[in-house]
Amino acid sequence: MMAAAETGELLAARSQMAVTLGFHIVFACLGVGLPVLMLVAERRYLRTGDEVWREVARRWSLAFAVLFAVGAVSGTVLSFELGLLWPQFMGTFGSVISLPFTLEGFAFFLEGIFVGIYLYGWDRLSPRVHWWSGMPIALSGVASAWFVVTANAWMNQPRGFTMVDGRVVDANPLRAMLNPATWSQTMHMIVAAYMVTGFLVAMVYAGAALRGRDTAYVRRALALGLVMGAVFAPIQVFVGDWSARVVARTQPVKFAAMEGIAVTEPGAPLRFGPISIPHGAALLLHGDPDAVIPGLDAVPASERPPDAMVHVAFQVMVAVGFGLAFVALWSGWSWWRRRRLPDRRAYRWALIAAGPAAVVALEAGWVVTEVGRQPWIAQGVMRTTEAVTAAPAIRWIFLVVAAGYVALAASTVMVLRILARRPMREESRVG
Amino acid sequence: MSAELFILGVMTAGVTLYAVLGGADFGGGVWEFNTALRAPAEERALIYRAIGPVWEANHVWLIFVIVGLWSGFPPAFAGLTQALWLPLFLALGGIVFRGASYAFRSQMAGHLRQETLWGGVFALASTAAPFFLGASAGAIASGLEVDTSGHFSGSYLTGWISPTSIFGAFFAVGVCAYLAAVYLTREAAMRKAETLTSRWRLRALVTGAWVGVMAAAGIVLVARDAPDVWEGFKERAWPLIIVSAVSGLMSLAASWRRRWTLAAVTAAGAVGAVVSGWALAQYPLLVPPNLTIDAAKASSTVLTTMAWSIVAGAVLLVPALVLLFSLFKGSGPLERADP
Repeated sequence: MMAAAETGELLAARSQMAVTLGFHIVFACLGVGLPVLMLVAERRYLRTGDEVWREVARRWSLAFAVLFAVGAVSGTVLSFELGLLWPQFMGTFGSVISLPFTLEGFAFFLEGIFVGIYLYGWDRLSPRVHWWSGMPIALSGVASAWFVVTANAWMNQPRGFTMVDGRVVDANPLRAMLNPATWSQTMHMIVAAYMVTGFLVAMVYAGAALRGRDTAYVRRALALGLVMGAVFAPIQVFVGDWSARVVARTQPVKFAAMEGIAVTEPGAPLRFGPISIPHGAALLLHGDPDAVIPGLDAVPASERPPDAMVHVAFQVMVAVGFGLAFVALWSGWSWWRRRRLPDRRAYRWALIAAGPAAVVALEAGWVVTEVGRQPWIAQGVMRTTEAVTAAPAIRWIFLVVAAGYVALAASTVMVLRILARRPMREESRVG
Repeated sequence: MSAELFILGVMTAGVTLYAVLGGADFGGGVWEFNTALRAPAEERALIYRAIGPVWEANHVWLIFVIVGLWSGFPPAFAGLTQALWLPLFLALGGIVFRGASYAFRSQMAGHLRQETLWGGVFALASTAAPFFLGASAGAIASGLEVDTSGHFSGSYLTGWISPTSIFGAFFAVGVCAYLAAVYLTREAAMRKAETLTSRWRLRALVTGAWVGVMAAAGIVLVARDAPDVWEGFKERAWPLIIVSAVSGLMSLAASWRRRWTLAAVTAAGAVGAVVSGWALAQYPLLVPPNLTIDAAKASSTVLTTMAWSIVAGAVLLVPALVLLFSLFKGSGPLERADP
């Protein structure tokens, strides 16, 4: 049905969605996680009167101003792109996923309002009121994440509507929002957001410590970021497992691609990299070594995702997830035994690697869920080829957009580095 | 009142507020073309300071309207995103780089090269966003080949270009610059900056007169190029043109007589009346000439759920907005407000 040129346009549209979503998601995570860290730091200052904590909160709020702005505008791009790239999808199902997006609109609104109040209110509000003005940012950040991800969960498990002649009748927005994929997927994403924030923050200050800047400021900032990452990394192992089980139950083809199960047979092995554990997948999923797990061959070839990509992405995510949980346990063990973090170089390098690794796992997770759902844009209901725009020259738009995002990413990093080089107050500089 | 009319009323209010609040934020950037070259640092600081606390909140009105459109009227969203894909992509470019360069620029005070670079990007992007959003609005007014189920059959490259869309592009930029000048005069006066106040007052008066002339020309253009909207204006929306004209004249008079808050309110009223008048004139069409509200609206369960979530959300939103604007735009004492 699709001509070759049109398939190229489809690939361009999908690539553009991938680049813009993959870019935004990092900022979205920081928008969820950083306010919590700022609030904890500011709270420590209010409790103890320790100026270093105030310095931590203030400097993070400057970085947050930049990150939130980039996150807000790149999120705007996505809301337009849903229509610009996938008009048939939105034209058909826009109303079904109306509820989470309407509520997300309000959450984002509150976030934007209180970001203005918090960032510009340091000298204008009393310290206590200022702290409280940050609270709605943290709450609406996590609420936004929940609402938006329910819409993505709906694409994996479309519910709450009936179709007549290609038009939706009888939509039930609440049922659509609370579909079978909603809870595991939203929790997986929110925990990921805190992990990514925590490990990215820890990365920055582990780098500073490694370069010999082992000041009071660096130690506190590092500890705060690390606590967030280390608390959520072990939790994510279990939430991720739950998520995979929900996928196995609700999207068996995606699950087969993730685990690399080609053929439906009893006792599927667990494949990880070059290793293959006989009966492993069957045992892990059903507690029965001879359980039958549907393979890719359960559906016709035209309904299978690009399985190699999904399999690799899944393994990368799982491997990084366990690696981060290991870093968390290493830190926790040292703290429990010696009341301080390890000061070995290897540990600091592990922390530096944990930041980008967490981002890699985040992106890999999105590859799993999005590529793993192909060829469907809404599982079993609408194919991506049916949804894509007929607008010409999408590939050129994609190249321009990709170049623009590269420039934006580079500029953001540059600006954050200039911000980080700003001189500190006296008490924060001492060792 | 039916749920769809309630939602459309809220969306119209959203577009109007985006124009009078978000528009002024863009306008500040439009003036950067002028001020970047020869203005003293304090003059430029006024722009950045005025935009700082509110632009993110003002920006959300746009998202709000977009979400309302796809949720309540999905075929209209699908039709418009197809027909207007080019101007909307270009507007998005403006929106992204306006926001980012604003954040970069305001954090880079003291780094001359960074300030110049991001000031330039800020000016360019702040102009591009209203230019292409205005073009999109004009294209809607003059009609698009979108059928009742949201399918677009016109030209993807040139279907959005019409006399009204070209007019809309320039008019939107003019309106933004005008609003920014009026609001900034008030802010300069509140900071007791005499020179800045008189400079911005002059700009407000000149752009106000210029935008007024453009608006009058626009009426003639709409009559010739946007027949559906023109009929609506003749039939029911004409009082809003009078409101706009009277408000605009009052605003000029208030600027002349140095009544800053009155000038700001009436300027917003003049612009708001045009935007809401356009919506009223277009009723019951969502996308002229074919797609009506009735054809595009979602099922009544969806619309009712949306309406109630809007009511519930407003309970939280309205006090928060009042707090934001009374903190940063009220008549209280204004000290340094940099983050």
